Amino acid sequence: MSKNLFFIAFLLLFSRYGFGQDTAQLTTRTDSILYRLKHPVKNEILVVSHRGDWRYAPENSLMSIQRCIDLGVDIVEIDVRLTKDGHLVAMHDKTVNRTTDGKGKVSDMTLEEIKKLRLKNACGVKGSRQQVPTLEEIMFLAKDKIMVNLDKVEGETVKEAYKVLKETGTVGQVIFKGRETADMMLEKFGDIMKEIIYMPILIDNTENASGFVDRYNELLSPIAYEVTFSGTDTENFKQIARLNRMGITVLNIPLWDALTAGHTDEKALLEGADEAWGWLIKNGANAIMTDRLNELLNYLEGKGLRKH
Amino acid sequence: MKKRLVSVFVLIFILVNCKNNKENHNTTQEKTVPVNEESRSYTQIHEIRDNLLHPDNGQVIVVAHRGDWRNAPENSLPAIQSCIDMGVDMVEIDVRETRDGHLVLMHDGTIDRTTTGKGKVSEWSLDRLKTLRLRDGLGVPTPNRIPTLEEALNLCKGKIMVNLDKSYDIFDKCFEVAQRTGTLDQVIIKGARTNEEVREQFGKYLDKVMFMPMVRLSDPKAEEIINGYMKNDIPVAFEFTVPSDTIALIKRFGEIRSQGAGIWINSLWPQHNGGHDDEKAYADPHVYEWFTDNHINIIQTDRPAILLKYLRSRGYHH
Repeated sequence: MSKNLFFIAFLLLFSRYGFGQDTAQLTTRTDSILYRLKHPVKNEILVVSHRGDWRYAPENSLMSIQRCIDLGVDIVEIDVRLTKDGHLVAMHDKTVNRTTDGKGKVSDMTLEEIKKLRLKNACGVKGSRQQVPTLEEIMFLAKDKIMVNLDKVEGETVKEAYKVLKETGTVGQVIFKGRETADMMLEKFGDIMKEIIYMPILIDNTENASGFVDRYNELLSPIAYEVTFSGTDTENFKQIARLNRMGITVLNIPLWDALTAGHTDEKALLEGADEAWGWLIKNGANAIMTDRLNELLNYLEGKGLRKH
Repeated sequence: MKKRLVSVFVLIFILVNCKNNKENHNTTQEKTVPVNEESRSYTQIHEIRDNLLHPDNGQVIVVAHRGDWRNAPENSLPAIQSCIDMGVDMVEIDVRETRDGHLVLMHDGTIDRTTTGKGKVSEWSLDRLKTLRLRDGLGVPTPNRIPTLEEALNLCKGKIMVNLDKSYDIFDKCFEVAQRTGTLDQVIIKGARTNEEVREQFGKYLDKVMFMPMVRLSDPKAEEIINGYMKNDIPVAFEFTVPSDTIALIKRFGEIRSQGAGIWINSLWPQHNGGHDDEKAYADPHVYEWFTDNHINIIQTDRPAILLKYLRSRGYHH
C-alpha cells in the first residue's frame, strides 16, 4: 500500500517536469528573459513596454508596471530622475507638470514633496491614487518577474541607480542604456560598467556607427543594442544585420516614424502588423519596444514567436 | 520510514503544483483581457435608445468618457470608432467653437495638451486647426486630426449615442449640426441649469433634442432643482455628482427612475461617486455593484472594457 503511494508520488513529481526538460522552468522569469536576451533566436521576440502600460494606468506608475507583469511582458522601460535630496524616482519629463497634479522640476523637489503628488491618467485627469514611485519601489515590484530598462540614467545617475540595485539585489535584472561611447562611459563610471547590463543606443546621428559598435564590443561586450534608423539606407540600419551575425540582441523601438523608418505601432494598426512589426522582425529585430502591448503580444503569439 | 518519505514527496508535489498553478493562472487569466475582447456583441442603436427612454427596464447604459482614449487620442474619430467596436452605448465628447464659428472636439480651452499647436481654440480658425496633429496619451504626435462635430456625428450616425459636454452655451449650434447630420435622436445636450433657466434660454428645443440636467447632490438646492424638472419636463436623465455615498438623495434614485428619468453617475474618479470609481474597479470590478444597487442606469467610465464585461456577466448589458 505505502509502496504504491510512494510510486505514485514519485511518478507525479517527475511527470510534472519530465526528464531533460528546459531547466529554465525551475528558475525565475527574469532568468529566462535574460537568457533569451543573451542568446537571441529567430523564433522568439522579446516584448518591451514603453513607460509601463500607460494605456491602463498612469505612465511610469507601479500599476502600469504590474499590468506589464500580468500581461507577460519581458521588459518594462522606465525613466528615472534624481530628486533634490538624491532619490531616484520614475518621471519622464524634467518637470512633474504633465503627469502629476503638481508643478515644478523634479530636481527642485524633495522625495517627501514628490510623494505628496498624485499621478494623472493619460487623458490628463487628476483623481488617481497612484503616487510617483521610487526606483527602489519599482525594483521590489519587478524583482524576479520582469526586467527593467532604465532610461535617462546615462548622465549622472548610473552610480545612484547602481546603489539601489545593489540594495535590492537586482543588478542582474536591469538594463541601463545610453548614447555615449564606450570610452566615455568607462571613463565616467569605471568598474560599474562591467557589473551592470548596459545597452548602447545607436541613434541616427551616431558618428561612425560600426566603429561605435566595434569599440563597445571590444571594451564591454554588450548583450544588446537599441538601434534606431530613419531610413534603410543608413549606417545604423546596416548595423542590425551585423549584430544579428554576432548573435547580439537588437532592440527596435517603433514608437514614431523616425525611429524605424516609418514601420511603427501606428502603421501596425492601420496597415496590418506584418507591415510594421513583421517587417522589423524580418529585418533582424530580436526585441521590440511598443506602446501597443496587447496588439503586439497577440500578433507574436499568433505567429508562434512567443515561448509561453 | 517509508511513510515519512511518501509524505515528503506528496508534500513537495503539492507545493510545486500550487506554485505552478498560481503562475499559470495569472498568465492565462490576464491574457484573456485584451482591450477589445468583449467587442463582438453589438447593441442596435434603437435598442440603446429604447434602454435610455425606458430607464426602468433593468439595462445599464455604458458611456465612454472622451471616447476610448486608452487606445486612440481622446476626442478623436478612432477613439469613437473603438467605442463602437467595443459595444459601448454612448460616447461622451467635448465641443468647442473655433474663431470662425465651427464646432470641433476639444476638451481643454487650449489646444496645448492634446495637439501639436498652442493657444485657445477660440483664437484658431478651423482651416488652421486642421493642419495640427492630435497627441496620444504620452504627448506623442499621432497622424490623427482634430475632428469637427459634424465629422464625429456622421461617424456615430446609426451606431452609437452621443453626449455633448460643454455644449450648453452653444446649444443652438450643436442642435443645428445634429439636425443637419440627421442625428437628433442620438444626441444628448447637457448643462448645470435649473428647469426654469433651460426653458427660458432653449425651451424651443426641449421637445426636439434630449437635454440632461447636471446636478451636484451636495448643492443645498439639489432637491429643489430635481423636483423642478420632475414637475415640468421629466428629462431623459439626470447627471448627478455624488461626492459622498451617504447623501440622502441617493435613496430617491429608484423613485426618480421609475418615473422615467434615468440616473447618470460618473465612475471616472472618486469625487463623482463617493469613492466607487474606475481605478478601484480595476482591482475589483465588484465596485460597480454600488451603481447597480443604487438604481443607477447610466455610467460614464474611463474603463469601458472592464465595465462592459462586468455588466454583461450580471445581465445588465447585452
